[in-house]
Amino acid sequence: MNKLLPIISFTFANKVKTKSFVVTTVIFAILLSIGIHVPYLIQLFSGNEGTGTQIGLVYGNQPEIAESIEAFVDQQPGAKITFVRYEQANEQALVNDLENGTIQGYLEFGEAVGLQFPKVIYTSKKDSLDWTLQSALQPALENAKMQYVTKGSALTEEQIAAISAPVVIEELKTDQAGAGAAGPGSSTKTAIINYVIVYALIILFFMTNMMTGNMIAAEVTSEKSSRIMEILITSVSPLAQMFGKILGMFLIGLLQIIIFIAVVAANLALPYNQASLAEFELDLSQMDLSILIIGLIFYILGYFLYATLYAAVGSIVSRTEDLGQAVMPITMLSLAAFYVAMFSLSSPNSLLLKVCSYIPFVSPVTILLRYGAGDAALLEVGLSLLILIAAIVFFSWLAAKIYRTGVLLYGKRPTLKELRKAMKAYKI
Amino acid sequence: MVKPLVLEQVTKQFGDKTAVNGISLQVEEGEIYGLLGGNGAGKTTTMRMVLGLIYPDDGRILYHGQGYSSELQQKMGYLPEERGLYPKIKVSDQIIYLARLKGMSAQEADKSLRYWLERFEVPDYYNKKIEELSKGNQQKMGFIAAVVHKPKILILDEAFSGLDPVNVELLKATVKELRDEGTSILFSTHRMEHVEELCSNITILQRSNTVLQGNIQDIKKRYPREEVLLHTTGEVTGLEAIPGVERIDRRERGYSIRISEVSAAQHILRRAMEDSVVEHFEIKEPTLNQIFIKEVGESHE
Repeated sequence: MNKLLPIISFTFANKVKTKSFVVTTVIFAILLSIGIHVPYLIQLFSGNEGTGTQIGLVYGNQPEIAESIEAFVDQQPGAKITFVRYEQANEQALVNDLENGTIQGYLEFGEAVGLQFPKVIYTSKKDSLDWTLQSALQPALENAKMQYVTKGSALTEEQIAAISAPVVIEELKTDQAGAGAAGPGSSTKTAIINYVIVYALIILFFMTNMMTGNMIAAEVTSEKSSRIMEILITSVSPLAQMFGKILGMFLIGLLQIIIFIAVVAANLALPYNQASLAEFELDLSQMDLSILIIGLIFYILGYFLYATLYAAVGSIVSRTEDLGQAVMPITMLSLAAFYVAMFSLSSPNSLLLKVCSYIPFVSPVTILLRYGAGDAALLEVGLSLLILIAAIVFFSWLAAKIYRTGVLLYGKRPTLKELRKAMKAYKI
Repeated sequence: MVKPLVLEQVTKQFGDKTAVNGISLQVEEGEIYGLLGGNGAGKTTTMRMVLGLIYPDDGRILYHGQGYSSELQQKMGYLPEERGLYPKIKVSDQIIYLARLKGMSAQEADKSLRYWLERFEVPDYYNKKIEELSKGNQQKMGFIAAVVHKPKILILDEAFSGLDPVNVELLKATVKELRDEGTSILFSTHRMEHVEELCSNITILQRSNTVLQGNIQDIKKRYPREEVLLHTTGEVTGLEAIPGVERIDRRERGYSIRISEVSAAQHILRRAMEDSVVEHFEIKEPTLNQIFIKEVGESHE
């Protein structure tokens, strides 16, 4: 066991120094920073335009509708649209303004047929209505329609307002009913931040698993192809070697995560990003700590389960070129776990998830999802944990056997049968 | 006194193929034991079994009278035939790491490494990466990696292959030095002249079987002396008439004569003394190379 420490520190120290590690970490840090700045940048760019998008509004035959639209848009805080009035549908003037860029496009209305709201036509140089503009115009048009249709009816202003108000679904869960009663609305808010944690942990699990897993496999293969393995296995037991490597790589992964978290935190701490964070209504103080703890436990255990497999596969392959193909099944497995979790985010209590949370390779993410967003009891979490630990013990044992055999086999990648034969021959 | 390394009837099979068939040998303290054989004769498998990498199917291996245990890893050094080190890592980093894996402390390892670099007159390699070194120098580093932790039992698989003559001499001297310090060395090679110079006892393997074993001098005595080297100032005539002479080759300064029986040598000398002045006369003992080819070549048929 006292040999484990040199292996861990050697693996760690040498990986940290490699160019590939430094480069990927820096690139990811830059991407993260850019990602966090996106909302702010959007604000910055749209703010520069000052008055926002200029749109022509043809009063023509429907002056009332046009007026109510303009009034509605003006009332909206931070409206990004300003209207330019055109009394009549003067084709020539509109086309001219479109050409020289005074307006981006123009709205005009068709004839009203009975009580029907007249057809709305948007003309622009571009062939389709862009998404942000549509989302800004839609409520204005809805509002105008409401007023147009209800005009002259017996409905009061309040009734109209009540009709147009959107329906709010407040989510409450029975096991959280107590909390819900104490402070209405608080349960849904906790869920949001917890969803974010679950989501973040799943992505983290997937990413670090892939990256460090591949690093472990590549490391083992390169030791084998550089033949230093022959010296290593005469110095340390393969089990110590394998776990030293896995732990060393785990520390690498951890370091990377810490760097990323620090980058995110530093970016979020910038004053101008605070505002955009507040918009998401994320309150870290409402975070459920038990989710984080359970998530981290499963994250670490899940990592070990996959890492042993990656090490075993790495030991079978003699050349780095063959590694990608050999690693494929494990990659598929972790992809499956990732997608099961991702597609079930909205339905955390489905039967699929219940089954998956007891299958070792997918359980780390699925049980977390069930606990964080669904209704899994601690007992179920414990059971899943036990199965996972049992699986780790079994696969470590198997991987150590494969590792022991694999590192002595050179040449082409052995089939399962050849591997078993070699194990027998080596008496492992 | 218990011998550091004893192999008793060790057998290893891979599937239907027998890789090593009942090999027995003993290595004394401070002895270099030669393990010879052609390609695929079972040398590497034997060495791997000694190292505890694979277990023998039959027979046993004793280290100082004990069976294999993981503590032995610290006492053994191994220079594999296809040696390698981490190409992108500094010499000091990886050799100290390997020494620590063998149970040395970092300071001891550093001291030992510096001693060896000094010994090979390349102290400036301490901070170099392996990939920056020439192939021969990489091999020297590999050798250092095998001996840095002062092993009691050293296993050298083709230690001198790919080295220039200067470095071969340097390494040979080092191996002898280790032997004189009491290290037991199991040494495999194709190069007979190295064996003749370094080893006192040898085993020749051929297709997983032991074909020849024992002290080199004893082995040589078993083989008839068949060649006479004769240097004279003038010409010697009538040599071919001597009974037992098979062939005469004219050389720059004399003759190389193949004989079928040793007694013919005396007649040759007498004849030469009658005709001319003898400068040099030698009944050559068979080289190990000749013995090897004779043994291994014959059983090839």
